[in-house]
Amino acid sequence: MKPTRSDQVASFLRCFAVQGSWNYRSLVAGGLANAMLPLLRRVYAGDPVRLRAAVERHLEPFNGHPYLCPMAVTALARLEHDGESPERIDRFRSALRAPLGAVGDELVWATWRPFCLLLSITLFWLWGRPWVAVGVFLLAYNLGHIWLRAWSFRRGWTEGLGVGKDLGDPPWARVVPWITSLNLLLIGSAVVLVSWLVAPDTLGRWGVALALAAAALLGYARPALGERLAAGLVLAAPVLLVLLGA
Amino acid sequence: MSELDLSLGLLAALVACGAALGLDAASWPQVMISRPIVAATFGGALLGDAASGFLVGAVLELLGLGHTPYGAAVYPETGPAGLLAGAGLAASGGTDIGPLLVAVASGWAIGWIGAISVRMQRRLNERLLAGGGLAAPAKRLERRHRLAMVLDALRAGTLTAAFALPVMLLVKLADGVSMIEGVVAASALLLVGMGLAGGVGVGVMRRRATDPLLLLAGGAIALAMIVTGQ
Repeated sequence: MKPTRSDQVASFLRCFAVQGSWNYRSLVAGGLANAMLPLLRRVYAGDPVRLRAAVERHLEPFNGHPYLCPMAVTALARLEHDGESPERIDRFRSALRAPLGAVGDELVWATWRPFCLLLSITLFWLWGRPWVAVGVFLLAYNLGHIWLRAWSFRRGWTEGLGVGKDLGDPPWARVVPWITSLNLLLIGSAVVLVSWLVAPDTLGRWGVALALAAAALLGYARPALGERLAAGLVLAAPVLLVLLGA
Repeated sequence: MSELDLSLGLLAALVACGAALGLDAASWPQVMISRPIVAATFGGALLGDAASGFLVGAVLELLGLGHTPYGAAVYPETGPAGLLAGAGLAASGGTDIGPLLVAVASGWAIGWIGAISVRMQRRLNERLLAGGGLAAPAKRLERRHRLAMVLDALRAGTLTAAFALPVMLLVKLADGVSMIEGVVAASALLLVGMGLAGGVGVGVMRRRATDPLLLLAGGAIALAMIVTGQ
């Protein structure tokens, strides 16, 4: 049987908890199977044996970006609905993992989230209103977030096996490089603006600017070293404060 | 140095917020209220100063630019950490650099302690979902999945409860340190740390020859904004 509108709504809402039981063995599979259940129950209505086999199939290890997992949920449910063989479903499932992770990571974690965060920090510097900055961040970020979940959920069901085309040439492909460039500008400005807000007046301001630029270039050139050094400096700062201030 | 006023009701509100923020990071619903700028603003607002909270959240945000949740990567858990850092700074009564430094360092440290607790939680989830029989009946899978989320919220709430008082007290203590040499040297360390983290964050996004130029251009634009603003 074809899933009803309410099955789809229930499944979509469960996608928000797709990482709820994330673990190192099956990764996101528990959440994936949980989100598919409303659809699978309809597809295999009156056939508990096939329902059980389908759920077990989707409890096998799976991973993907959480906002694009709805695409896997509906595409796999569509294959179950269309009566594809378990072997074909397994192969398709394995093939989906890498692109769902890579495409989502690049779009959301490396592009959209930093953009919204950095924009919010810049707005705070300009206006000094924390709730406006937080509101803009949450609104802008989640417009993109919810759209992406809804788009991937819809495309998964309509395209089924053909979702690879969407992942190969997603609608945002041309926009991402521009936002990335903007992010680089925003990082440079946010580091300076926040430093200006927190640096005591006794520190020479132009010296601060030069030190920030040098540190940023070092962090860029040697990220592993930069990451460790930054963590060490942040934790050492209050210790030094207490030692020299005592 | 003003008195620290932390009622049981306020502590309960912090713990409830910490649980919700911890849940948001990965389990549900990932709307990013767990980001430091949001969590720390909540924490600051609970203690009466949202702007202080936002400021410490912004510093934590920049420090964490290089830590992205790709695959099974380990990264600081920013919800409870940001909440407590923001609350700690607000409780100290201002944005002096001494309390700010301690609030940032506390937030950073709690973020990594939170990361360890998340790892433990995920190991526990392995056991919850291990073994056969989850699919028959499928309701068992739904119950285990919900249980994992409840445990995640409890974990984050416990983390918040464990560190709420220590963070408030530490930040408060720093309020009394006024020696100028200590402040200058310590804040210089923080600023260099932020610069490094910004560079690391750029490296995470993309590797092109023009990346450092865009980074420096952004800094120059900000300097121009500051100079013209003054």
